[in-house]
Amino acid sequence: MEKKKIGGTRKAVLDAIGFIAVVLLFLLYMVPFVLVLLNSFKLKRDIIKNPFSMIPEKGFIVKNYIVAFEKMNFLRSFGNSVMVTGLATLLVIILAAMVAYYFVRSRNMFSTVCFALMAASMIIPFQAIMIPLVSIYGASLHMLNHRLTLVFLHTGFAMSMSVFIYQGFIKSGIPIALEEAACIDGCSKVQTFFHIVFPLLKPVTATLVILNVLAFWNDYLLPSLVLGKKQIMTLPLSTYAFYGTYSADYGTIMAGLVLTVAPILILYLFLQKQIINGVVAGAVK
Amino acid sequence: MKQRMKKLAAILMVTAMSIGLFAGCGNSQTADTTKPADTATTDAADAANEDTTAADATTDTASADLSGVEISFLNSKGEIQTALEETAAAFEEETGIKVDIMACGTGEVPYTKITSAYNSGTAPTMAMLDTTDVVALAEEYALDLSDEKWTAECTDLLTKVNDKVYSFPFCVEGRGLIYNKAAIENTLGKEFDPDSINSYDALAALLEELRAAGMENPVVISKEDWSLGAHQLGFIYDTYDGTTAGSAKLITALEDGSQDPAEYERLSQFLDTMDLLLEYNINKKDPLGALYEQDPIFLADGDAAFWANGCWAWPNIADAGASATDAYGFIPFVLGNDTSDFANTSIQASPTKQVIIDKVQASEEQIAAAKEFLNWLVYNDNGQKMLVETCALIPACTNNAYNPLDPLGMDIKNRMAEGKTYSSCFIAPSDHWSVLGAAMQKYIAGESDRETFIKEVADYWTSQK
Amino acid sequence: MGTMGRKLAEKLKNLCVFALPGVLIFFTVVIVPFIYGFYLTLTDWDGVKQVKNIVGISNYLEAFQDAQFWSSMELTLRYVFCSVLLVNLVAFILAYALSNGLKGQNFFRTGFFTPNLIGGVVLGFIWQFVFSRVLVNLGESTGWGIFSTSWLSDPTKAFWALVIVTVWQLSGYMMLIYIAGFTSLSADVLEAASIDGATGIQRVTKIILPLMVPSFVICLFLTLSRAFMVYDVNLTLTGGEPYGTTRLVAMHVYEKAFTARNYGVGQAEALFLFLIVAIIGGVQIYLGKKKEVEA
Repeated sequence: MEKKKIGGTRKAVLDAIGFIAVVLLFLLYMVPFVLVLLNSFKLKRDIIKNPFSMIPEKGFIVKNYIVAFEKMNFLRSFGNSVMVTGLATLLVIILAAMVAYYFVRSRNMFSTVCFALMAASMIIPFQAIMIPLVSIYGASLHMLNHRLTLVFLHTGFAMSMSVFIYQGFIKSGIPIALEEAACIDGCSKVQTFFHIVFPLLKPVTATLVILNVLAFWNDYLLPSLVLGKKQIMTLPLSTYAFYGTYSADYGTIMAGLVLTVAPILILYLFLQKQIINGVVAGAVK
Repeated sequence: MKQRMKKLAAILMVTAMSIGLFAGCGNSQTADTTKPADTATTDAADAANEDTTAADATTDTASADLSGVEISFLNSKGEIQTALEETAAAFEEETGIKVDIMACGTGEVPYTKITSAYNSGTAPTMAMLDTTDVVALAEEYALDLSDEKWTAECTDLLTKVNDKVYSFPFCVEGRGLIYNKAAIENTLGKEFDPDSINSYDALAALLEELRAAGMENPVVISKEDWSLGAHQLGFIYDTYDGTTAGSAKLITALEDGSQDPAEYERLSQFLDTMDLLLEYNINKKDPLGALYEQDPIFLADGDAAFWANGCWAWPNIADAGASATDAYGFIPFVLGNDTSDFANTSIQASPTKQVIIDKVQASEEQIAAAKEFLNWLVYNDNGQKMLVETCALIPACTNNAYNPLDPLGMDIKNRMAEGKTYSSCFIAPSDHWSVLGAAMQKYIAGESDRETFIKEVADYWTSQK
Repeated sequence: MGTMGRKLAEKLKNLCVFALPGVLIFFTVVIVPFIYGFYLTLTDWDGVKQVKNIVGISNYLEAFQDAQFWSSMELTLRYVFCSVLLVNLVAFILAYALSNGLKGQNFFRTGFFTPNLIGGVVLGFIWQFVFSRVLVNLGESTGWGIFSTSWLSDPTKAFWALVIVTVWQLSGYMMLIYIAGFTSLSADVLEAASIDGATGIQRVTKIILPLMVPSFVICLFLTLSRAFMVYDVNLTLTGGEPYGTTRLVAMHVYEKAFTARNYGVGQAEALFLFLIVAIIGGVQIYLGKKKEVEA
């Protein structure tokens, strides 16, 4: 529609050039990913000799996937990952949206100070609180080796970024008039938030869900400090066995990586739709 | 009431064991709470039994009580994780003691891992660590093992801190120049005797001969800072007199400035040999562009004949296409031209990974179980076998008759038996490999000369407090 | 009086319901350990010892005199500048191109985002291969001098390798946030602008850019903090090599605390890093918010 209105061949040519540029850049971006997929079907020697070869000396193999699946104890680790990631994401999204909403609508000392602290905390290097963190939660509170502790910690660490992003969008994207109208209709503050504000945040929520899910799903350092037992390990932790001090089993690592990443990719493709729907909903308002 | 007490004691015991929460002086308390709980349970079960039986059970503690005890073992050799788990499973089957093998993941430094474990109150009962870490932790955290029976089996390889033994030498590792016999013989068309390379000149002649026969660059030098800093440069400390005590003496002298590195003969010999190897380095065009995964392929394919590395590199060489029946072995990292010098006739081999037992957070049962595990590895036939064959390690204890399955391990084992090894294992500050590794990188890239490099070594040592 | 009381109660209720749960979790997880960490910088604790002696500010003095810390800080500043600039430029252009109804734009969006799915050692391994093998091969076959030796063995080129990988990894992430920003721009505004005859460039500079300021504030801040604290890529791609010339500040802090076992000094340096980033980030947000108000 829009294209036709502007019309002209010049526009069409520009569009075509843009399209080609995007495609080229896209291919460049995909190279490493293709490499992972390609090499997950090769023996280690073939990977090292020539990771780009389409005709490995020893042929393509699926053994890597079988080994990875077994060694990672895939189903159990997958379950743990889903549980930790799911709960933590849910908590972060709801709590962060509420906090951000409060910060925007109630401008007082408390919000200003907390917001500043949150923004500042995003730049605390994790290494700087790693040891204090395990001292407090391990030696003093004995809370390590529980999946729920990990959920709690993930939530705390992800809070600031999510609040930060929500805050920006609530401020610029949610007209206060809507809420005032609801207020007149007799909605309580909580009802207003969940019935009117939160649905309007859909595009941001979708973005934050994917960013948080990704961060939790792939995190290694924090889970490795919290989860010491095999039964509760998440996917990234369960791939440790593929790495040695002086050597690493690259074929299995790549296969393990594909197995770890695939669920996320599917979720992302699914959420893509949600983002679009959110946009449509946004346009209706 | 009694019932409730028992329950309480049991809960206490479980908590104490699973979290190991009593630190420091609390240790004795843990033991106290555990004991009554145990007896109580036994009493309840054998309520009808006579006094004598109960007394017998108590004297028998060792094996009877240990069944069902859970201990943990921090593994810092990632490549044997699976093998260790198998070993632990076999041990559990025989003794009922469950050993949980904790892995040290990628990019995790064992020392960091143990630091955070002690801080979080989840310290492993046993930890496999490098000698430097063992020395750092020994007196405060590790159990004194001086009176263990196995100390007699590996007298020469024990690491002592103030005359006490705190660690079990888990395995022996050696380093030098790895050779591929077939590559040399195919190039030269004659038999190769590794013992003939016992001086700088002999090595230089061989390399020249190889080049003339068509092998342009017969040496592989990896660029990793740990390889250059800890393993190659390490020869200057280890060859002081071939003992750890000697290397410590040298290091003290370097620190207080009484030994000027510029006048230390081993350092200039080392740099001479390094220069020679660099001249024939297959990565010569771009020495710092070397890839650790590519390096063994040069060796296995016969493009090169030597790789400056240690026996831990076997899995890499095997992955690169070598088979365990091929002829690989070590020649010394030759220093100077004295053919009777031990540095030229024997190779360095020392216990690199050592196991300490935690004395701070572990309960008495756990400590006993941990000792049991070590004894099993030393004296039990199956334990011996699994250590050598499943984990592919070279045992430090001489009573273990199993032979390593790979040629590099076999070469070291044979040399140890023939007395052609020296066991010095220098103990340097923990940032030594990274700081002087960087200095070595500069040197092999031609970014610094001999003088600058020696000055960097001197500065590093004199800046230690 | 009654209304005032009710208002206060209402305010308190809102605070408890909306802000408190999230803020509380945040404080217990981040702020409390941080303060405890600060306390540790005042001690001589090495990370393992059981006794901690208060030593005052000596750790800070030592950190201040650590020449390597400041040189890696300088390197980090250069790295942050280059990568923040490039990441946002690429991300913005991508977002703009991919929210104009381009054919298959959802597919492309997914594609540009995938680099975020690969992490850790594998990422380093793949890029190591690209820089030290693929490009070297390319250099040999084409004779291009720039690729004749591995980029990772030369300090300057290794630095740019780091920047390139960062752009590759982060631009898809930032693109998502820009896209969210674009979609929150009402379609009417854009359409009105094009009917008024605004050209592409005008549309971007006069209408879109000002309206996108909130997204810029967020993205700049995120890239800034990410770039300052980059560790994974640094470790796996260059490992600080060649000879320690690409050791960024987070890696230096980590090594100080754990490799050199100088926990107090490492922690103190982490605080210095924190302060520097806080100042830069604060200024950036302040300027951004000012722009936001003006627009």
